[in-house]
Amino acid sequence: MIPKILQEEVYNCIKCGICMNACPIYKQLNVEGASPRGKVQLIKKIQEGSFEATEGFRNLLYTCLLCETCTVNCPSGVRIDRLLKYMRADIVDEFGLPWQKKLFFNLMSSDRLLPFCMFWGRALGNPLLSLLPKNGKAGTIPYSKLPRLNSRTLLSQYPEIIPADKSQGRVLYFPGCATNYLFENVGHSVIKILKRMRIEVIIPKDQKCCGLPIFMSGARKMAIGNIMKNIGVFNRYGHVDAIIVDCATCGAAFKEEYVHILEEMGEDTEAAQKLHNKVMDISQYLTRVNLKKYLHHIKAHVTYHDPCHLVRSQKIKEEPRALLKQIPGLEFTEMAGADVCCGGGGTFQLDHPEISEGITRNKVQAIKETKANIVASGCPGCRLQINGNLGNEKIQVVHPIELLAKAME
Amino acid sequence: MLKSEIMQKFVSIVGQNRCKTSKEDLMTYSYDASILEFMPDAILFPISTEEVSQIMALASASNVFVTPRGSASGLGGECLAKKGGIILSFTQMNKILEINTENRYAIVEPGIIISDFQKAVEKVNLFYPPDPGSATVATMGGTVMMNAGGMRGIKYGVTRDYLLGMEIVLPSGEVMKTGTITTKDVTGYDLTRLICGSEGTLAMATKITVRLLPKPKARRTLLAIYDNIDDAGKTVAQIVAAGIIPATMELMDKTVIKAVEEAFHIGLPLDAAALLLIDVDGDADTVEKQSPLVADFCKGQGARNVRTSSSEEENVQLWTARRAAFGCIARLRPTCLIEDATVPVSHLVAAIKKVIEISDRNRVQVAVLAHAGDGNLHPLMLCDQRDKEEMVRVEKAMDEFVAYAMTIGGTLSGEHGIGINKAKYLPQQLSATSLRMQRALKKVFDPQGILNPGSFLEVCPQ
Repeated sequence: MIPKILQEEVYNCIKCGICMNACPIYKQLNVEGASPRGKVQLIKKIQEGSFEATEGFRNLLYTCLLCETCTVNCPSGVRIDRLLKYMRADIVDEFGLPWQKKLFFNLMSSDRLLPFCMFWGRALGNPLLSLLPKNGKAGTIPYSKLPRLNSRTLLSQYPEIIPADKSQGRVLYFPGCATNYLFENVGHSVIKILKRMRIEVIIPKDQKCCGLPIFMSGARKMAIGNIMKNIGVFNRYGHVDAIIVDCATCGAAFKEEYVHILEEMGEDTEAAQKLHNKVMDISQYLTRVNLKKYLHHIKAHVTYHDPCHLVRSQKIKEEPRALLKQIPGLEFTEMAGADVCCGGGGTFQLDHPEISEGITRNKVQAIKETKANIVASGCPGCRLQINGNLGNEKIQVVHPIELLAKAME
Repeated sequence: MLKSEIMQKFVSIVGQNRCKTSKEDLMTYSYDASILEFMPDAILFPISTEEVSQIMALASASNVFVTPRGSASGLGGECLAKKGGIILSFTQMNKILEINTENRYAIVEPGIIISDFQKAVEKVNLFYPPDPGSATVATMGGTVMMNAGGMRGIKYGVTRDYLLGMEIVLPSGEVMKTGTITTKDVTGYDLTRLICGSEGTLAMATKITVRLLPKPKARRTLLAIYDNIDDAGKTVAQIVAAGIIPATMELMDKTVIKAVEEAFHIGLPLDAAALLLIDVDGDADTVEKQSPLVADFCKGQGARNVRTSSSEEENVQLWTARRAAFGCIARLRPTCLIEDATVPVSHLVAAIKKVIEISDRNRVQVAVLAHAGDGNLHPLMLCDQRDKEEMVRVEKAMDEFVAYAMTIGGTLSGEHGIGINKAKYLPQQLSATSLRMQRALKKVFDPQGILNPGSFLEVCPQ
């Protein structure tokens, strides 16, 4: 049953339809059921007991990027994304998860399994990856463009505490799975910049996956261990100025989702609320300090893509741009529709490559029109999706922080 | 329910993928932006004139009801399957076929969204003026069938004024052309303009040709704040009487201001009684001259503050907020019934007073929004459809307001259409002869009565 705090939401939908043309999925399919308005109306019928969650409804529920564009555009203020996320949890409780997802999420939520698999993944996976057929694809991403695993996890490359001389501050750093296992240069960049700013960096060794991919699929009960563990870890170190994340998704999990999930499960939210107040995206944290004197000239042309989990979940829009614009010599061009979802949506692009492809095509077109040779974005999912769909374009895809670190060399 | 062998024939026209019959599909095609709901038996998504024609031929041969639908942003159940049958959704037939810059016209398929079309023509410095509040939702087909008006009505008119011609499919399945691509055309009866505004009861448009204007070079938005709603109304009447024609003149009362501000945080004053949002457009010179003139009229009528926008970005922000006003209102109460009786603009002040008086007397919470420049009132009745007793009072207030509008030469509906909600009022405005003529016309186009059954002429008392 839909929790009390969300029950009135469906009645606030006046069916004006403004969400429809804002929804990247509806714009591809032009079918009402795929639109936010359609989904909200079906949830209303379920809540009122005149409709049961059919298989078709369950499919519609997962035909959604959870990009939150509908929610921020809804003039009536209906929290559409929260309704959809809750319904997914409800569905998983009743019908379970598909086996592939179950396997993957077990991996992400377990303590030992993940490092074990990472070891064998490195030893066997990386070489195997190059044996895959050249024209094969995972979702919309060609095998040849899948990232290789880091040679060592980021966490194993640094001590738990990196002290600072004449310390200017103390932060906790949460690299997240993508940086830890796949994109180590993002982590090196974050640490390098923080060190240069003379900030003490704590990297808890036992941090776990933020859990977002798990609970966004509806498997809240599987994710609750991750949520509780991370809340515990973050509270362990006494006062810190901020908890830094470099991943839009982890940030959204800590700032928004943890509180919502615990609230909807009827759990205490106080500790999660504290976490919410402390977490900062790296771009947010760095706009508070003056970096100018450290930055060298870089000759390149960059454009920026807004990840859903930054621009909508966390309302972070200007900060990453401000960072990039500080770098001397770096030309910045705004792309058309920078805040439109890239079409990746985590595992969405694996489940619905045909829808995803159409959305990403528009994004790639907007990037090409800027004539930039670099596209920066603070979300590993977006970077994978954009990079995987660039075809033969010679455009580099990076985290803004990597450019900043480069300018500090 | 449709017989399965007939259903099979429909499927063979559009294919399995473009025919939907599951429970969740039927439910999501059972509503529009009103509170009405009717379940169809199936939804078909044609993508060509041919398919529409074949569907209609089969429908008339087997006597199946068909109701055309765009984005379903309508407010009176016009696109709902009021007697069941098939919903013909035009949302996948949404291409722009031609934008002709030499002769300034465009040909589009019915499913394209107004604002998408507007953006496309503005890229080549052309302009499609009709601008319903729902422009980011509504389709060209839907707005042609409803003859939608909107915010720029005072200066630029309504959808009908831009329509040059159509390719239509009759209920029998026959395909026919109306109009031309030239701006002048007096050949035969003007069927284009008859079908426009017919609420999808006569024929379906599969191609639409519209006239375009050169894009105005400049525009400026003025925001005038009032402590008294009468003063805002008087300003509008004065500007119109003085012979100035702004592109838009929108009025919002304090309730609308509050809801919009809550949604958009654009700095609207919460203590104001009303505001006017006025757009002046044209050549840079004209705009430069007209906007201070308009500002003076506002101040002269007691506006406590007149703000002139400084950038196009600010213009867009203000109009996005106005566009969403209907949705914003849902923040206050779950249900909102929107009236659109339209009065001669000289009666605007009195009509607003009357709206408030009637609502107070019936204990109905009301918010006033108006395309004030053309006297098109939008009283928003805030309620909760789950409260039966309240809904009775709301209906009574609406009855009284319609009756009042009739006494001062107004019309039942300025732009939303009759649908089934307002059909009961039709005899108050249309004579028995007029209704008989309209029914006869319907019969000529649709002798079997299979297209959009249950529409206004059927619901209207005989």
